[in-house]
Amino acid sequence: MTATTTPARRRWDPIVRITHWSIALAVLANALLTEEGSGPHIWVGYGLAAILALRLLWGLVGPAEARFAAFWPSPRKAFAHLRDIRAGTVTPHASHNPLGALMVYAIWVCLLTIIATGITMAGPPPWDGAEREAEHRSAVVSGESHEEASEEGDSEEEGEEGLLGEIHETAANLLYLLILLHLAGVIFETRRSGKQVLVAMAPFGR
Amino acid sequence: MNAKARSIERKATGISILVALQALACAFFLADLVGDVLADGIGLHLAIEGMAAIALLVAVVLGSLQVRSLIAAARRDETAVAAAQGAMSELIALRFAEWQLTAAEADVALFALKGCDITEIAALRGSAAGTVRAQLTRVYAKAGVDSQSALIALFLEELIALPDQGPSAPRA
Repeated sequence: MTATTTPARRRWDPIVRITHWSIALAVLANALLTEEGSGPHIWVGYGLAAILALRLLWGLVGPAEARFAAFWPSPRKAFAHLRDIRAGTVTPHASHNPLGALMVYAIWVCLLTIIATGITMAGPPPWDGAEREAEHRSAVVSGESHEEASEEGDSEEEGEEGLLGEIHETAANLLYLLILLHLAGVIFETRRSGKQVLVAMAPFGR
Repeated sequence: MNAKARSIERKATGISILVALQALACAFFLADLVGDVLADGIGLHLAIEGMAAIALLVAVVLGSLQVRSLIAAARRDETAVAAAQGAMSELIALRFAEWQLTAAEADVALFALKGCDITEIAALRGSAAGTVRAQLTRVYAKAGVDSQSALIALFLEELIALPDQGPSAPRA
């Protein structure tokens, strides 16, 4: 009758979970739903930037296991983790496990690159239509002589913007690859050390 | 997780959602502001808008600090209750052994400590009320008390440490 109080391993705190799933949704939306370079695409990108900024702030002020200090990238620990996997032993980690931590930073770097190039290309979010956007764009991308007709941009937007677009796209493709690896890692770790991995990040429940 | 910790955690989740929304709003304000400043230069209107955006940014930071302290409070509550639970069950096991209760009596006594009355205990154990009454009577006799509340008080009394109970303790 007395509830056995084995201290169940904790879930991630609400900010970590909210930011994780919002970013996942934003990436999905911009990958599948919105048209590249369109208003909604830019809006979602700005939203993603805000949520990522919140997560990074949380890395400074959050509870111990959400802080950068708790999962600083460390090749030494990553190798120890690999040895653990090979030996079949499971060491509990208070924060992200060492390989997971590397993945976190890789994804963050990717996202930051995408956000930076995206903002540089699009400028501030379009509030009231395309003309204003074009106006902003020419104001932001300084030192570049934009022709009047930025409506049919593709062929004309060479040089700096073309390069930025390349980076934006490459980083996005790299991000998709990282996400697949992340999912594979989660599946692997769940089979290795139990359902807790999933429960800890589950958006709702208990 | 106990009920109190859970309710604190729910509150933390609510504020987290609020903080996330504020962060979104703040980013849009700031982005719009930068665009407007680049387009039109800074004016009174934009300066005020900028201050509003900064106020929102401060709110995001303060909100996340509050979430952090709520999470910390929930964890403190959890550990305190767990520690008290551990100490309590240890004490109960100790006393039951001391009184040499049989397994059945210990079970009944535990339910009595949790505040169940005779009919509830009978239902929980699937035995007759008369049996439970007899078992409880033996428990009381072994513990040297004459009622359920006295039995409960026996444990509470030991757990509640009074600070320096002199003859004139409550001096206001």
